[in-house]
Amino acid sequence: MSTGAGIAPSPPRSRYGRFMTGVLRGTLKLDVWINKVYPADYNPLYYTGGLSNLFLFILVLSGIFLFFYYEASLVEGFASVQYITLGVPYGGLIRGVHRYAADGFIVAVLLHLFRNWFTDRYLFSRDNPWISGMFLLIFGGFVGFTGYQLVWDERAQVLTAMFVGMLRSLPLIGDWLARVFIGGAGVSDGTLVRALFLHIGPASALYVMLWWHYLRLRHPKIWPPATWVLASVGLVFLLAGVIPATSGQPAAPAGRPASFPMDIFFLIPFWLLNYMSPFAVMVLLGALFTLGFAIPYIARREAPQEMSVRHAGVAQVIDGNCTGCELCFFDCPYNAIAMVPSPAPGLSRAAANRTWLAVVIESRCVECGICIGACPFEALELPKFLERDVQAQVLEAVRA
Amino acid sequence: MSNGPKVVGFVCDWSVDLVPLMEGGRLREMPSVRIIRVPCSGFVRPSWLEDALGRGADGVFVTGCPYGDCLNREGNYLMRDRVDQLQRRLQRRRVDPARLGMLAYGLHDGPAFLAAVRAFVEGIRALPAAAPPRSAPAAPAPAAAERETP
Repeated sequence: MSTGAGIAPSPPRSRYGRFMTGVLRGTLKLDVWINKVYPADYNPLYYTGGLSNLFLFILVLSGIFLFFYYEASLVEGFASVQYITLGVPYGGLIRGVHRYAADGFIVAVLLHLFRNWFTDRYLFSRDNPWISGMFLLIFGGFVGFTGYQLVWDERAQVLTAMFVGMLRSLPLIGDWLARVFIGGAGVSDGTLVRALFLHIGPASALYVMLWWHYLRLRHPKIWPPATWVLASVGLVFLLAGVIPATSGQPAAPAGRPASFPMDIFFLIPFWLLNYMSPFAVMVLLGALFTLGFAIPYIARREAPQEMSVRHAGVAQVIDGNCTGCELCFFDCPYNAIAMVPSPAPGLSRAAANRTWLAVVIESRCVECGICIGACPFEALELPKFLERDVQAQVLEAVRA
Repeated sequence: MSNGPKVVGFVCDWSVDLVPLMEGGRLREMPSVRIIRVPCSGFVRPSWLEDALGRGADGVFVTGCPYGDCLNREGNYLMRDRVDQLQRRLQRRRVDPARLGMLAYGLHDGPAFLAAVRAFVEGIRALPAAAPPRSAPAAPAPAAAERETP
């Protein structure tokens, strides 16, 4: 570690490590290819998070419009959606925008998830954005499902029956959950009121989770570049105009249609019901999300000892050298440095004259060393890769 | 060791894959280029670059990931700003800013990275000779640093 000269890291030994290294290489090869088409600053894969947020914002704005016209009852649910589509000026367009922005949202979210997984961006203390991201994915998927319910056509009716079946298949709490979900023993007006709340409530909760998602980031990339904002908004409006979003046949209390138009973005669990029992689908979903939450903890691409300089320990402040200038505080990309009032009288002249002292919040540090580069006063060090080690390598280089 | 200009390169360990390019801490194709692997390009303190030039290196460069794709989000942008500042400072001291470079290449861009380093080295070879090192390069750095701060 101290010299790092010519130490070739051995390739990861575990099968998972080798697989993930292959996936990492594939992801970056895709980047190289895309960067040939766009300037690197505009590579859309660098902005998957910003694109998700953009689509969510489009969803909120179009959703507010739709909310003014929607009536949550068995009789009026279908009719009010038809009225929005055909009667309200531009209503059909806004409904289509809401529909296609939802697809864009889920695509961008999944790209964001896989990209950050494949490029090791969940390491060390970056598990917090990962966990909040899994919550965002679960809530986002559920909001999409309740959106299909609100239309209250035949598909909505079948989906509701299927979901109730899945809930009922759970032991002990299943019946209670199903009753809570549809608001009584059977489908009634209350069901759609609940569906409307379960559409808007979790969608609002997404913003609370986004606050958690951004909490440790300084300057998060919340929006994609303006050209991509325009392109995404344009694409959504274009799709809404060319392929209008429509309802199926109105739901009938006695109706039991055998098939419905599939949606590959939100309804895959319901498609699985063709092949599996409701309980098996619930178990599969539960296992998938449990695995998703566990990804940062169960397996790493590289063992810590294989990471060499990239795992050099949490940054440490050297009290006597810190002048409280706040440069590391401004540059840390993870908000991992806090400025605290300097304890008097201090160990050195620098300490006696400063107002603030930098403190590293260890639970946020990812060992990148950016604060070391920011500090002109030699007041920060990575414990396993000291300034002395760097200087030794520089000397060796100029002496030869 | 070799007849090329002495160049020190600080290379982010997440960026270019150096294993196939390196031998004994130096680039196999250009043994005059000594590579120091760092956890992120933003880890490099500008005073180290200045120091390397002052101690007799003919050129110094930093390599980070492609802009927009820094694993640590902002390391390469921050380093690009610091290198720009240091280049202006060097110019005031009559040191040619071409002796300091900032590169950005991804894991697979080994050939492009080598080409950029070669161009950098050729650029330095074309420059007039640098001022002699301000201190004897044999002096160990930590001891020197201790003497400077009583």
